[in-house]
Amino acid sequence: MGDVLVVGGGISGIQAALDMADSGFRVYLVDKSPALGGKMAQLDKTFPTGDCSMCIESPKFIECARNPNIEILTYTEVDRVEGEAGDFKVTLIKKPRYIIEEKCTGCNICVDYCPVKIPDTFNQNLSSSKAVHIHFSQAEPLVTYVDPETCLYLKEGKCQACVNVCKAKAFDFHQKPEKVEVEVGAILLSPGFDTFDPKLRNDFGYGIMENVVTSLDFERILCATGPYEGEVRRPSDKKHPHKIAWIQCVGSRQANLEGGNSYCSAVCCAYTQKQVILAKDHDAGLNATIFHNDIRAFSKDFERFYQRAEKLPEVNFIRSYVTVGREIEESKNVTIRYSTLDEGVKEEEFDLVVLSVGLNPPKDVEGLAKKFGIELNEHGFCKINPKNPIETTRKGVFVSGAFQGPLDIPESVVTASGADALCGELLNYRRHRLSRDRVYPPERDVSEEELKIGVVVCHCGANIGRTVDIPALVEYASTLEGVSWAGENLFACSTENAKQISDAIVEKGLNRVVLAACTPRTHEPLFRDTCREAGLNQYFFEFANIREHCSWVHSREKEAATEKAKDIIRMSVARAAHLEPLEEFELPVNKTAMVIGGGLAGMTSALNMAQQGFEVYLIEKDADLGGMARKIHYTLEGMDVQEHLNALIRKVYQHPLIRVATDSTITEVTGYVGNYTTTVNTAGRKPRKIKHGIAVIATGAQEHRPTEYHYGENDRVLTQLELEGEISSQNEKVTGAQSLVMVQCVGCRQEDRNYCSRVCCGQAIKNALKLKEINPAIDIHILFRDMRTYGFKEDFYREAASKDIKFIRYEPQDKPQVDAAGDGLQVTVADPVLGQRLELEADLVVLSAAVIPAESAQDVGRFFKLALNPDGFFQEAHVKLRPVDFAADGVFLCGTAHYPKHISETISQAYGAAGRAVVILSGESVTASGSVCDVKEDNCVSCGACITACKYGAIEFHETPKGKKARVEAVLCKGDGLCNAKCPTGAIYLKHYTDEEIFAQIDGAVERPTCQMNQAAKRPTCQIEQAVEQPTCEAAC
Amino acid sequence: METVAPFKEIIDVIKENGGDSFKYCYQCGRCDAVCPWNRVQNFSMRKIVRQATFGLTEIDNEGIWRCSTCGTCPTNCPRGVNQIEAGVALRKLAAEYDVYPGHVAPVRNVVASLTSEGNSLGGDRDKRAEWAKGLPVKTFTEDMEVLYFTGCYLSYDPRMKEVAAATAKILNKAGVDFGILGSRESCCGESIRKTGNEELFKRLAKENIKAFIDHGVKKVLVSSPHCYHSFKNEYPEFMVNFEVVFISEYIAELVNEGRLQLTGEYEKKVTYHDPCYLGRHNGIYDKPRELLTKVSGLELREMADSRENSLCCGGGGGRIWMETPKEERFSGLRVRQAVDAGAEVLVTSCPYCITNFTDSSLDLDESEALQIKDITEIIQEVI
Repeated sequence: MGDVLVVGGGISGIQAALDMADSGFRVYLVDKSPALGGKMAQLDKTFPTGDCSMCIESPKFIECARNPNIEILTYTEVDRVEGEAGDFKVTLIKKPRYIIEEKCTGCNICVDYCPVKIPDTFNQNLSSSKAVHIHFSQAEPLVTYVDPETCLYLKEGKCQACVNVCKAKAFDFHQKPEKVEVEVGAILLSPGFDTFDPKLRNDFGYGIMENVVTSLDFERILCATGPYEGEVRRPSDKKHPHKIAWIQCVGSRQANLEGGNSYCSAVCCAYTQKQVILAKDHDAGLNATIFHNDIRAFSKDFERFYQRAEKLPEVNFIRSYVTVGREIEESKNVTIRYSTLDEGVKEEEFDLVVLSVGLNPPKDVEGLAKKFGIELNEHGFCKINPKNPIETTRKGVFVSGAFQGPLDIPESVVTASGADALCGELLNYRRHRLSRDRVYPPERDVSEEELKIGVVVCHCGANIGRTVDIPALVEYASTLEGVSWAGENLFACSTENAKQISDAIVEKGLNRVVLAACTPRTHEPLFRDTCREAGLNQYFFEFANIREHCSWVHSREKEAATEKAKDIIRMSVARAAHLEPLEEFELPVNKTAMVIGGGLAGMTSALNMAQQGFEVYLIEKDADLGGMARKIHYTLEGMDVQEHLNALIRKVYQHPLIRVATDSTITEVTGYVGNYTTTVNTAGRKPRKIKHGIAVIATGAQEHRPTEYHYGENDRVLTQLELEGEISSQNEKVTGAQSLVMVQCVGCRQEDRNYCSRVCCGQAIKNALKLKEINPAIDIHILFRDMRTYGFKEDFYREAASKDIKFIRYEPQDKPQVDAAGDGLQVTVADPVLGQRLELEADLVVLSAAVIPAESAQDVGRFFKLALNPDGFFQEAHVKLRPVDFAADGVFLCGTAHYPKHISETISQAYGAAGRAVVILSGESVTASGSVCDVKEDNCVSCGACITACKYGAIEFHETPKGKKARVEAVLCKGDGLCNAKCPTGAIYLKHYTDEEIFAQIDGAVERPTCQMNQAAKRPTCQIEQAVEQPTCEAAC
Repeated sequence: METVAPFKEIIDVIKENGGDSFKYCYQCGRCDAVCPWNRVQNFSMRKIVRQATFGLTEIDNEGIWRCSTCGTCPTNCPRGVNQIEAGVALRKLAAEYDVYPGHVAPVRNVVASLTSEGNSLGGDRDKRAEWAKGLPVKTFTEDMEVLYFTGCYLSYDPRMKEVAAATAKILNKAGVDFGILGSRESCCGESIRKTGNEELFKRLAKENIKAFIDHGVKKVLVSSPHCYHSFKNEYPEFMVNFEVVFISEYIAELVNEGRLQLTGEYEKKVTYHDPCYLGRHNGIYDKPRELLTKVSGLELREMADSRENSLCCGGGGGRIWMETPKEERFSGLRVRQAVDAGAEVLVTSCPYCITNFTDSSLDLDESEALQIKDITEIIQEVI
């Protein structure tokens, strides 16, 4: 019995499961593959931030695994769905792994002994794996599975090598598919996508020429855990390629080609630029050529990202679709033929060719649709409601991520949180009924106890054990001062071994625990939790990283590695002796939300939170609700915007939990997550203070007023929004026009506004099609730089062409010229293919003006201490994985305040923000870390350096009898320690990283009287850096 | 840079002529990249398309006449532009004004010959059956199994007459009851249509259709992929449907049915060239290869560009009649590919291809001697 079934454990499903579990629901997270992660797990780095994809995704695997309200079912398929919204019965089939999950420790010994080599699908078949293997090394669950197709025992009853070497006795070859029946109130489909298979059309040599790979293959080639261990090599001879070509739109934007997709896959331009940048990082001398049509850098910061790639030396972006010529017999190089405007067609040779393959619906999508009783769109993706893209055609069944259509990671995360918001609406009546909190034993007071440090050394399977002499480490550790017990583990992180550690704490009376194992980045929360299980304060836990910092980097120097591991352990023991118990605060949450901005985004978000049972204040600066959407009458997909908007306004006003304040602005914000107090000024009223737990920022954006093309001087020159207004009011001037020219990118994609406004290409086509509908004889020319009709909008681009709307590309250095001519206007524009200037008559010229941040963004940002990006849009906490969060806790972001976006995208994001907000609102309290800064007031000289250093506004002066002193608001502190470095007197300090603790660690490093003294003295730096750096990074994320 | 205004009237005429699909072009350049012309000299189909989009087509130079209608760009166009049909729309514009510039000029004579004699080679209509003199070839009658539609080249061209004879030999050997129409046979009209002369095409087609009906024809056997294409895909526009069968497919059928035995040996390295109108236009790639591999001793090799990517000989779209300077001939590249594939014989089954390849093979070194053959000429040696 649960609340929600999430189908698909990629990043979207994971995020949805976490948000749902944290907002009071019990979740089944099901994935057909043997581990969570989806496609994101296969990526090397992510654009545009360059984060390691696995490093930012895998902590979420562990979060899911540890969450008491998430049950993970991998290697499991959905068989049948019965019932209706609120009461679904779902039959799942757990495929046999031939491994008992609970017993397998993931030690990989069986893999070493298995004699059957098979292609490693996780590495895109570029390397090999075994018939029994773990899907990938960070897999959750970290257990093996047997491939029944190739296993000698399952095929022919021969060989049981694996069974004999398994110490955990985890094999069970008698396993059969297992039926699991679950009852849930709602279902979320997040099955993701498949990449286009270029073999289908067989036109780029994939599968025939060895050195033609897909972009997903290339992700693995780039990746440190990939087939060539992070060296960029090519398949034919494993040599480093020095000249690589990328071919864009493989399988995409092909209306006429069998097997291809008519839509644009939306992510390929950016991921290719990322791959170019990464490949250049690997080999600065690399020559990279990208063959493309339009560059679609339509998302936040993508324009700059494109420029970054494009400006690299020996990187050439060539606007041409191509054909693969031939494979050169001796070198296995591949030639590409492409067209140029000045020099005709050229043929060029490349060492490696990467096909930027597009996104297809998931495999067997019809079967999926049938099972869940949902409809698909004409492209085989989920049919969605443009007014709510997270809804499918079946009530109670929602969709998030790339099954909606081609989406990138942030949108997959946004829609995941949005799905939480919608499930919350549907299932609010049963929130907290099934979910459970974790219960820990009472904490032991150790203040009077003598120091008893326990040291556990982990083999990490063979990861550490094969390089470092573990028994020697255990023996050494037990000789160190303060250590009362030392032991070893095969996998400290396995459930069984973690239990052993907590037992040891109790039985041996340990009051400090040092674990010599892997990295705190992914595993510290787990072991802190282990301490809590044993009744020990979690801050008595200390990690000694002898894997990343030792065994992995010194795998060929076993003896020296053992010595270094001893150094690392000694340092950690020295530090552990000084650790203090810290308390994490539980702060009560005010269950009221405030939404700033009463446009489509703000209203959608507010209404959802209200329907989830929370009181909402909706603050709008104008006299009426509606925002920019009031000026938009229809969408490209045919949605009646005013109808939707009016219905929404009505619902907002009618909802008893929503208090609307129009003509209102905010003038002051104090407090922190869970406890904000905001001063609201309403015209004609006294300012009032409103207490709320969270805030959603939805302040919107506005249309730029152009300063060129005679705008404002000639009334035949309009903006796109003005045109839409005239069309909708059926102004004769517009509906009777015989000719019209649209100019794209007016006021953006230029030096002072270096971003793409994202919506204008779609808007232009939308209005052009509308005009053609009214008057088929009208001549319309659209002058563009790149047509950015991403995703399914590409179909409308072609539809516009089919209606004789003509598109002319112009270069920014040779902009179109608009002149008055007689009654009308004349537009002159150079056509690059013709090599001639075209002179066009125009009754009207319509400018697609930039979308610019709302004027109020600056103020709102200042009040809530929110960062803006260089373009003046709000900066989210993390572009990829926290797209609607701010760095400041308890404040969320949606709509065009984040970045220009289409109406459907705004709606998705509004639900996303509501979903994230409700995670806080539905809890009774928020927890603040114990590792925060504090001030020794006697030492404080009131210089204020710490206050300026703090990015979170966590420090303020307050009056004391001894004068003005700095004081830290612990709940706002992120523990990055910047203030510590700035403080001239050492008055401000960071708990858990005190001078005593760190000095002890350094002393521990240098005290060892051996000939390796110098070396040892050098090493601790990395540990210290890590200790200090870690919270910074976390904060930066 | 020159400034021009779109020519609206021309845009409309091009559209009426069948050039509507030009509008789909998003200028990706793939047509240029795949076009065989760009292997011999610069030629931009993309520019032709772009000019047509704005009514700026130049009919007084050879640009619009270059296309050999090989079908590579339309099968590669992601946006659905039909460069062949739309390109013909431009030629109609020129043909209407009787503008055949430079190397295109010979088309005028062809038009005259087709109009008066029903063939493109300037032969007398009466002599159309002369190739069969002395051979056991009858005139078609209604009770016969199949009409052998010989085609212009196989009827008049001295080299191609040998192919006609080989075909007759095979058919007789297999005991096929077939006949020809002789002077009642007219050019199929496929290629003249591609020069924009719709009127003449219609006239020829009607003549043939009338002859077929008069003689009670049901099944037509052809030796030229151009006749095949026209009968199969264009004649149905006149609401007639004759069963059309191509010679290599037909022979394969005869062999499979046991009516024809391939008894001899053909110990040679052979490469097969896919004619555009058989391959890309009609999807026949496997049957001819299957037939060849049944010939004992024959070693089949593939050239660099084969099947869907087959390199055009340059003879389609009326190009067979136009002058093409030696250095601009695709056929020169193609025979080179055949030599590079190690072939001793370049076999195909299209009169235009054979004519062009034979011509280009004369430029090869003696050491590279390459025979150009029709598929029937190999088969006749092994039966």
